[in-house]
Amino acid sequence: MATLETQILDDVIVRSRRKLMTLGGAALAGLVVGGSTEKAYAASYSDSDILNFALNLEYLEANFYYLAAFGCLINTPNAAAIAAGAPAAGIPITGSVGTAGTVTYGAANKVPFTTAVAAYASETAIEEGKHVLFLQSALGSGMYIAQPAINLDPAGAWAMLVTAANANYSAVTIPTGFSPYSSDAAFLVGGYVFEDVGVTAYHGAASLLTSSGNLSAAGGILAVEGYHAGLLRTAINATDVANGNTTLTGYTNSISALRAALAASAQTAGGTSATVGGVNYDNNPDDFGLATFSVSLAGMAGFNSTRITDADTGSTLNTAIAFSRNTNQVLNIVTGGGKVASGAIKTTAATGVFFPAGLNAGPNGFK
Amino acid sequence: VKLNHKHYSLIDKALSRRSFLAGAGGVAAASMLSGCSNDGTTTVTAPPTSAYTDADVLNFALNLEYLEAQFYLYAATGSGLAQTDTSAPTGYTGKYSAGTVITSSSTAGANTVGKAGVTGTGPTALTAAQSNILNEIAFEEQEHVRFLRLALGPAAVPMPMIDLTFFGVLGGVLTPAQTGFNPFLSFTNFLLGSFIFEDVGVTAYLGAAPLISAAGVASGYLTAASGILAVEAYHAAYARTSITATGSSAVIAIANSIAALRATLTVGNTGAPTNTANTGNTGQVSTAASVEVPLTLPTAGSTTPLTTITAADSKSSLAFARTVNQVHHVVYGSATVGTAKGGFFPNGTNSIFSTTTA
Repeated sequence: MATLETQILDDVIVRSRRKLMTLGGAALAGLVVGGSTEKAYAASYSDSDILNFALNLEYLEANFYYLAAFGCLINTPNAAAIAAGAPAAGIPITGSVGTAGTVTYGAANKVPFTTAVAAYASETAIEEGKHVLFLQSALGSGMYIAQPAINLDPAGAWAMLVTAANANYSAVTIPTGFSPYSSDAAFLVGGYVFEDVGVTAYHGAASLLTSSGNLSAAGGILAVEGYHAGLLRTAINATDVANGNTTLTGYTNSISALRAALAASAQTAGGTSATVGGVNYDNNPDDFGLATFSVSLAGMAGFNSTRITDADTGSTLNTAIAFSRNTNQVLNIVTGGGKVASGAIKTTAATGVFFPAGLNAGPNGFK
Repeated sequence: VKLNHKHYSLIDKALSRRSFLAGAGGVAAASMLSGCSNDGTTTVTAPPTSAYTDADVLNFALNLEYLEAQFYLYAATGSGLAQTDTSAPTGYTGKYSAGTVITSSSTAGANTVGKAGVTGTGPTALTAAQSNILNEIAFEEQEHVRFLRLALGPAAVPMPMIDLTFFGVLGGVLTPAQTGFNPFLSFTNFLLGSFIFEDVGVTAYLGAAPLISAAGVASGYLTAASGILAVEAYHAAYARTSITATGSSAVIAIANSIAALRATLTVGNTGAPTNTANTGNTGQVSTAASVEVPLTLPTAGSTTPLTTITAADSKSSLAFARTVNQVHHVVYGSATVGTAKGGFFPNGTNSIFSTTTA
C-alpha cells in the first residue's frame, strides 16, 4: 500500500497541475500577486513553486522552535530533541534545488523554561519539523529546495524586527535587546511573530491547491498552523492575566501592526484579495493583536471580547474568517519589506531580516 | 500501541449492535486505552451516494455553525441567535423549516458577566478574562452563521432543532461517567463542552473542502471555507490549551474520554460522497481511533512529555479530516448506520447528508 506521502505526492504533482490548467493563468496571477495587473509575473508559477515557498517558511519556523525548545538546529538534533521525538539522523537541509544556507543564531540558546510552555515549545518544534519532512517528501526528489540562509540571531533578525515594530507602532515599546530565547514569555512572543503568518500564507494558497488530496494536505497544515497560533495567543493571554498586566498583549499589538503594514505595502492596486458572494473579508489591517474589543451577541451590544483568533472582525460585516495573504505579502513580512522599495514591487527576490539571502526558489525560480 | 485487526473487529461488532445511547462508553474506553497510534489514515474512494451542490456542502457547514453558535451564545448570554439569523431566508424554496433550541433551566444564564453593567447572575460568576474569551468565541461562531447565510443567500437552510440538553446524556457514557454533565455550570465545564465541538469543526471543514466544485472554488467558496477552518483551529487550540493548562489529570481524563467516544462513533463509518470531478480522491479521512489525539499533562519546565495541543497525524503533522457522514455520526451520538436524527439534532440536520451511512 502506498504511503501517505506517496499518495500526497501523486496528488500534488499530478492533480494540481490539472487544476492549474483548469483555472488558467488568470487565476494563478490572482493568487500570486493578488491583483490582475501583474499577470506577466505569474505565468511561470507552478504548484511546486507554491509548495517550495511554503517550505522556506517551514525551514524558518522549525529551526526557530528547535533552537528555543532544544538549543539545536533541525539537521543536528541533540539528545533533548531526540528525546522529544526529533529524527535522530536530523532533518535534511540539503535539497535538490539550491545550496543549503547556514542558520545564524548568535547567542540563541534553549529557553530556560520554568512552566508548561516548555512542552508547548517542544510539541511545536516537533510538528514544524514534520512539516519540513512532509513537504520535502511531497515535492519529491529533484523538486524540493535546500534550506535557505536563515537569521534567528537575537542581535540580528530579532533586533531588526524590534526596531521596525517600535518605529511603526508608537503606543508600545518592545525593549531593545529583546530575545525570544530569554524566558517562557519571550518565547511566546517570538512564536507569535511566525504563526499567524503561517495561517495567512496557507490560507492564501488554498484556492490553488484544491479539489484533490493536495488540498487536504495544504488544508491539514493550515489547520495545524491555526492550532499553533491559537496555542500561542491563548498562552500569551493567560500569561498577562496571571501577571495582572498587558505587557505581552502590547507586544502582540505592535507585531500585528507591523505585519499589517508590511502586508498592506505589498498589496497591489485594489488591495483586497478574498471575496465571496460580494463580501470582502480581507480588509486592511489584516492582522490583530490581543486587545479587547466590544461585540454584539444575540442581538445585544456591549460584550467585551478578546482576540484569541486572528480574524476579520473589524469591518462593517464581521465575518470571523481568518485573513488570507498572497505570497508577495508573506514575502514582504518575513523579509521586512525587502520586496517593496519606494512603493514599487521589486522583480528580484527579496532579502532581509529572517532570510538574509532571500528565499530559495524552486526549479522554476521566483520572481 | 497499534490497534490490530482483532481490536477493530471487536469494536466493529460492538458498534454494529449497539447505538451510542445503549452504552458505547465501554467501547470508547477500550478504544482510548489501546488507540495511541496516529497513522491510521486512508484515502476513501467510495462513490457518491447522491447528487449534491456546493450549496449542499455549505449548508452542511451551516448546520454545524448553528449548533456551535447556539452553544456559545447560551453560555455567554443566556439566550441564542436572533430569529433573523435562524429563520428561512427571503426567497427560500427548500423543504426545511426553522427549529427551536431545547434548553433547560440550567443551560441559560451561566455567564452574563461579560455584558456591560451586568454581573454575576449565573451559577458561577466568571472572571473578566474568562468571560471575554467566551464572548469572543460566541461572537465568531455567530458571525460564521451570518456569513454562510449571506454567502448562500436564498439557498441557506433555516436552523434545525437543536438540543443543548444532550450534553447531560453524553456525559453519562463517559469514563468516568459524568451523568447530567452541564457545560453551562462552570468555566471548566464550558471548556469541556467546547472541546466536544471544536476539533469536530476542524475535521469537518477539512473533510468537506474537497467536495466543493471547481466553479465553487472560482466563486471563492473554498477560500472562505479554508478561512473558517483556520478559525475553528484557533478555537480548538484555545480549548485544548486551556484544558491542558488546568493541570488537572481528572479534567484531562474527561476530555480524553470525550475524544475516545468521538473516535468510536466514526471508526468504520467512512462512506461519504466524493467529488465526482476528482474521482477517487477525497483526501485523508481517518478510519481509525487515531483520528483523536488524547491530551497529555505537561511537566513544568520540561520539554518532555510533549503536549498535544494540536490534533494531527503523528507522522506528517497534518490535521485529520472527517467525512460529512462521520461528522453526522458524531453529532447524532450514534454509530448506527441509517440514523437520520438524534443527539444534538433531535430532528436531524437540515442537510442532504443528514442520514448516516456505513
